[in-house]
Amino acid sequence: MTGLLGSDQIKSLAGEESVRGVLVRMVLEQAEGADSDEVKLLEQALQLLLSRFQAMEEDAS
Amino acid sequence: MILRSIEMESFGRFHGQTIEFRRGMNLVIGPNEAGKSTIAEAVPAVLFGTDRLERYKPWGRNACSASLFFEGGGRTIQIKRNLVTDEVELVERDDLYQPLSQFSGNAPLRGRSSSCREYRELLESLLGVADEKLFRATYFFGHQPQEWTGDELAQKIRTLVSGTAEVDYADVLDRLLDEHFNLTRSNPWGRDKQRDREYEETCRELENHEPVDTVPVFVEIDDSNEISRQIESLSDELVSDRLEYEKGLRYVEHVRNRQTTIAEMSPRTVQEESPAPGAAGDDDICKQLAAAGLPEDPPRDLVELLAEATEIRQEMSALQQPYAALGNREKKIPGVPWTVLLSVCALLVLVTGAAWWRQFHPWPVSSFAGIVVLLLSGWCGWRFTMSRKARNECKTERGRMDQKKSAIQQRQSLLSERCEALGLPSSPIDLVRLQKLVSSNRDLLETYWRRPAPGQPVDDIAVQDEPLPREQNGDAGSEEVVHVDELQEMEARLAEFEAEMSRKEGRLQELNRQLENLASSRRAGTGGNATALQKRKYELESRITLLRKAINLLADAVDEFSRSHLLRLNHEAGKLFAKITAGRYAEIRLDENMVPSVLVDRRRWMPADSFSKGTIDALYLALRTALTKIRDDGRTLPLMLDDPFVHLDQKRLATALNLVDLASADGQLVLFSHNLELGKRAARERWHVVPLDWGTVDTSTAEEGGENAGQLHLL
Repeated sequence: MTGLLGSDQIKSLAGEESVRGVLVRMVLEQAEGADSDEVKLLEQALQLLLSRFQAMEEDAS
Repeated sequence: MILRSIEMESFGRFHGQTIEFRRGMNLVIGPNEAGKSTIAEAVPAVLFGTDRLERYKPWGRNACSASLFFEGGGRTIQIKRNLVTDEVELVERDDLYQPLSQFSGNAPLRGRSSSCREYRELLESLLGVADEKLFRATYFFGHQPQEWTGDELAQKIRTLVSGTAEVDYADVLDRLLDEHFNLTRSNPWGRDKQRDREYEETCRELENHEPVDTVPVFVEIDDSNEISRQIESLSDELVSDRLEYEKGLRYVEHVRNRQTTIAEMSPRTVQEESPAPGAAGDDDICKQLAAAGLPEDPPRDLVELLAEATEIRQEMSALQQPYAALGNREKKIPGVPWTVLLSVCALLVLVTGAAWWRQFHPWPVSSFAGIVVLLLSGWCGWRFTMSRKARNECKTERGRMDQKKSAIQQRQSLLSERCEALGLPSSPIDLVRLQKLVSSNRDLLETYWRRPAPGQPVDDIAVQDEPLPREQNGDAGSEEVVHVDELQEMEARLAEFEAEMSRKEGRLQELNRQLENLASSRRAGTGGNATALQKRKYELESRITLLRKAINLLADAVDEFSRSHLLRLNHEAGKLFAKITAGRYAEIRLDENMVPSVLVDRRRWMPADSFSKGTIDALYLALRTALTKIRDDGRTLPLMLDDPFVHLDQKRLATALNLVDLASADGQLVLFSHNLELGKRAARERWHVVPLDWGTVDTSTAEEGGENAGQLHLL
């Protein structure tokens, strides 16, 4: 797996016992058997969610 | 795992001091400005680094460093950080003091280097946390608000289960939903489906707009330059096609006439009608030549020229096959597996290194590895030589063929020049066509060539004219049959060609219409740009699809987290809460929005809002402790409470301390406080006390040594 889904950050997040960790694990599972279009959409959706978490975290701190 | 000690070589106001802790409850007590918060901050500063170095760097010194010692499960972990350079040394040892894992390198707070990643991965695996903010959110309890509401509590819990320090997953979900609702009224979440949004408005506007055309890719339509380019190219093609078509038509017509003539002429008639040399007028012959599609003044060496053209063509086509064969041969030349060689060498080096390190038959292993490398290198070298040889052969062969091709092309160009000089067509295709015409009109050509030239005596003709070499020995009948077949084939091809031209003309008209529509819609101004609307519609559809996917993923993840973790969280928190409340409230339940409710009298669930402040504090502590336990999966770090109950009155403080004491039972808790009253409680409960001197912190020695050495020292 390449791109965002194969990155170290995602691997690290997948080990978390949190909603974010579950989210990443779900996306990785769904991407396993998906075609390239679906993988691209999953990757974009995960990127959108993680960037929202990050942006809101930065806003709050 | 518990925090055994903090060693502050040079950190804030502490120099060369060690603060020790124990399992269970620890109380760090001292007046304001005694350094309680500095000690508390030393933990995340050493673990992750800090961006507030100036705050902790001792005045007038250029050094700032501290170490943490963790202990548990038969292992110790020592982490030492120089906060000025962010150099970190981490060593994990077993109970025999043998190193299990270690790290030494630069790991600043926001570093992204491979060294940082390695360090954080190690932290994650050893302590269960690698993020500073998350560490603070999970293990640090600061001053709590005066009053909690149930919603605030729920929000705090949602934030903690989100895996972030500050962000509630419900807020993220709400923002995504808001964005989605702003784009379209069509949503599966049932909010305000009446009012049209941008997507519906765009669609409506597009429907009202005159359809542009049937070409679906509006990106192409949008670019009028692209359409103009297509029109230009298609027009050129059509001009060329029309010329070819007319030529074809003329040729077919000629062949047809010729067949009719041959069919009508008997040998006798031909004899009678054939003009005697010098008898037929030049004009008649020229007319016949023109009607046959031949040049008006065919040169005498026309047949030779055509024969040479045929020969050149055959030689060229004969070259095609060797070229193709050579290409295939070049493709089949095997390469040298350098990657395999390098991989095997690297593997053997590793194996040899391991053998030497472990002293496991190092010499035989090294010899074996050497032999394998030698053999493999020899084999690769042989492959390389063979491959180079084959490539050279191919190159030579290609050079020879190129030379031959070049010679043929030179002959072709000379021939073309000769043809052009004689007023004949020069292209190979035209020459083939001419060849056919010459074959079918040989009699006419012979007649033409036999006629006397202007001013030439008739007697000279016999000397000048030689019989034309006959290319075909077949009789007229067989020649005619061939032409009938050819004629039918040519007519079929011509019909196909005409249909293809019609298609191209249709496409050209369509493109012209598109260009015109585009120009008129641009002229129409506002609202008239269907292309832009199409584009916007496409963008909106993509965004809506992405948002829906993201919303569904996050909602599913929350559901999944609830299914997999909520029961355990409820159970752990309920157990702790029951202890804190002495069994009065036995169970806690978090709903799907993480709003807590408590089981009262073993039959009624009541929301957290309906309880007193003290009970809500207890509830919060129970939930946070349980969450920490679940998150860390047994790798629990100490909870650090920095004067969290500063707002509480004495009665509530006593309750809060009860629950803190109970919360520490399963792990370690460090409470920082300036409240002297806590000392009495510490003595009674046998907490571990670390007193900070009220006046001379710099010179005092903090708690060092025995289990009870620090207890009530201050009091």
